[in-house]
Amino acid sequence: MIPVELYIGLSVVIFSIGLYGFMTQRNGVRMLMCVELMLNSANINLVAFSSYHGNLTGQVFVLYVIALAAAEAVVGFAILMSIFRMKDMIDLDKINILRW
Amino acid sequence: MAVGDYAFLIPLLPALAFVLTFFLGKKLPNGGAIIPIVAIATSFVISLLITLGLLQNPEQVINQSVTWFAMLNLGILVDPLAAVMLTMVTFVSLLIHIYSTGYMSHDRAQYRYFAETSLFTASMLSLIISDNILQLFISWELVGLCSYLLIGFWYQKPAAASAAKKAFLTTRIGDVMFLAGIVVLFSDLFRLYNGSIPEGVFILKFDEIFSQIPQLAAMSTPVLGFQVNHLTLITLLFFGGAIGKSGQFPLHVWLPDAMEGPTTVSALIHAATMVTAGVYLVARTFPMFMAAPDSLMVVAYLGAFTAIFAATMGLVMNDMKRVLAYSTISQLGYMMLGLGVGAAIGAEAVGISMFHLINHAFFKALLFLCAGSVIHAVGTHDMRQLGGVAKVMPITAATMIIGALALAGIGIPDTSIGFSGFFSKDAIIEAAYLFGENGGGWALYALSIAAALLTSIYIFRLIFMTFFGKPRTAYGGHEAHVSMTIPLSILAILALVFGALTMERFNTFVSETFVNNFVHMDIPGLAELGGYHLASHAGHEPLIILWLPVIVGVAGLLIAYLIYGLKVVNMDKLVSRNNPIYKLLYNRYYQNAILTNFLSVKVVYEGLAFAGRAVDTGFDWVVNWIGDVTMDTGDALRQLQTGVVQNYAMVVITGVSLLVILITVVMEVL
Repeated sequence: MIPVELYIGLSVVIFSIGLYGFMTQRNGVRMLMCVELMLNSANINLVAFSSYHGNLTGQVFVLYVIALAAAEAVVGFAILMSIFRMKDMIDLDKINILRW
Repeated sequence: MAVGDYAFLIPLLPALAFVLTFFLGKKLPNGGAIIPIVAIATSFVISLLITLGLLQNPEQVINQSVTWFAMLNLGILVDPLAAVMLTMVTFVSLLIHIYSTGYMSHDRAQYRYFAETSLFTASMLSLIISDNILQLFISWELVGLCSYLLIGFWYQKPAAASAAKKAFLTTRIGDVMFLAGIVVLFSDLFRLYNGSIPEGVFILKFDEIFSQIPQLAAMSTPVLGFQVNHLTLITLLFFGGAIGKSGQFPLHVWLPDAMEGPTTVSALIHAATMVTAGVYLVARTFPMFMAAPDSLMVVAYLGAFTAIFAATMGLVMNDMKRVLAYSTISQLGYMMLGLGVGAAIGAEAVGISMFHLINHAFFKALLFLCAGSVIHAVGTHDMRQLGGVAKVMPITAATMIIGALALAGIGIPDTSIGFSGFFSKDAIIEAAYLFGENGGGWALYALSIAAALLTSIYIFRLIFMTFFGKPRTAYGGHEAHVSMTIPLSILAILALVFGALTMERFNTFVSETFVNNFVHMDIPGLAELGGYHLASHAGHEPLIILWLPVIVGVAGLLIAYLIYGLKVVNMDKLVSRNNPIYKLLYNRYYQNAILTNFLSVKVVYEGLAFAGRAVDTGFDWVVNWIGDVTMDTGDALRQLQTGVVQNYAMVVITGVSLLVILITVVMEVL
């Protein structure tokens, strides 16, 4: 049996990669992908603890998170698509007309 | 069923007539004058029957009350004081209404006139008949409203509109004081009951108030370092209301201006429905004044001062109605003086004062209606343009001379021969003498005698200038219509004989107001409460005191005759703008300059404008400051919204990290 620390370590690594990507990238699609990474690192955590405690609730949560992530990706990509059609770019730095 | 059960109809019928006349009058002949005339005639009959019943049995006061809300009630009270007032007001008002059908026959808004006079009468009657001070105050305000409406009846004239406003605002000053008095009285009574008032006790009812006088007199509060007795305070505030309504100095300024209304309205205001309200208020609450000698002194001295002050101005007026207006102010001063000397003669003061009030109502209504008759026929009220009117209008002239003799108080002491004014005015002057003899000082007596002389001079000046000599201008004219001369004749007969017929009975009757089944006041006891003693009673004045008022009256007549009848003295030198005394009198002691132009315009108006500007600037600053601060804060804070997603994520991460650290530390510590 793989010790739970390894799962957590994996999850930390993936989360950090996602966070780093999210903070450094300017491209909307890449940022969304990074968000997916962070979400799934959390999923790994949930599954790991679920099996560690022998309790299925965590796995049910994961299903929810996956569905939610899918929905989020759909909406996010749809917005990015329409922005791309209007501006021919998806550089989120330059999309700031709604700030002051 | 006794007639007393219908007493509530007395104010109700004219009020009903007001509604009917207002809505139906336009369609009826004469502006529907018949409705108020019938209503007031009925009220008069009821009042007269009640008065006759009370004369038989003064103990049987009519008092009916219903609960209004909480500890207040609505009710009627007809005791001798109220009964004589009711009878007088309904009677004079009835005659004035009949006279008005002739006088106002050319006016287009007749229905409005009759509706308003009818409401005026109704308010005054309900004021008289009230059995509690709050109801009295409500009617008091209604009277003020009606005076405003009627003085400004010809509102197209700017002078009338501004006179109406002036009357309303000036009496308002008094009304506020009256209301303040009621509030103080109410809170004191509430405190006396410790806030728990038994069922069925109405604390503002007169008998209730009177029964609490000893307790009220014992209360005092320090104001500006003086111990102010609550009873003195309350009575002074009440008297403040009376000053406004009854045109006492310094709130008399509205009365001469009130001449802008129709002359019949002046007659109504001066004789029956308005100015007597103040005197009535003081008479009604007289037991309270008895126990507050300081207030009584204020009443007496202010009354005497007003009497002579107004009389001097009456001397130089050229407008017939203004002479009469100042005469009213002066006579009201006498009535107040009569009440004030209650400090020497006790409850009889109410008797003599009311006696003068009733007599004055008759002869002053007569004088005003005669003046109206002359004005109606000739078309001017400037006496300088008249002269010799007696030839054209013999009935008017004869009745007016009777009125003048009654006002001057001509008669023979110790007999029943004399005009009505003689009996009442002499009684007041003699009471002032008694007051002096009792150690109260002679100023009141001296003032009242001097005012009597002036009264006689100014009224006969009016008579001689108007009715005798040669016409000074070509005026057309004719004797008035019969609907006008009949009321004149009735009033003239009353001015002639009323005083003589009723003198004996009247004083005792009205003085019984405070001793009957409604209230039992121990008047000498109240005087002791106030810390003084009443004089042992009258009847031992020297002969000269009895005769002096008559002598000055006749002297005044002779002076006026010599100057204005025979013209032995050339007045041209005296009557000129160069004579400082004449100038002072003619400009009415510069009251207009001082009170209106300086006090009202400069002090109040411009003061308020200045204060308004200051407050405005202050508020502006606060409002602007709040706005500026909000804008600046927003400007600073919106810099945080960079629109860069990474920045937001940064904040979130930092926040979460800090939270984690915090929780860790806390867990460690715990």
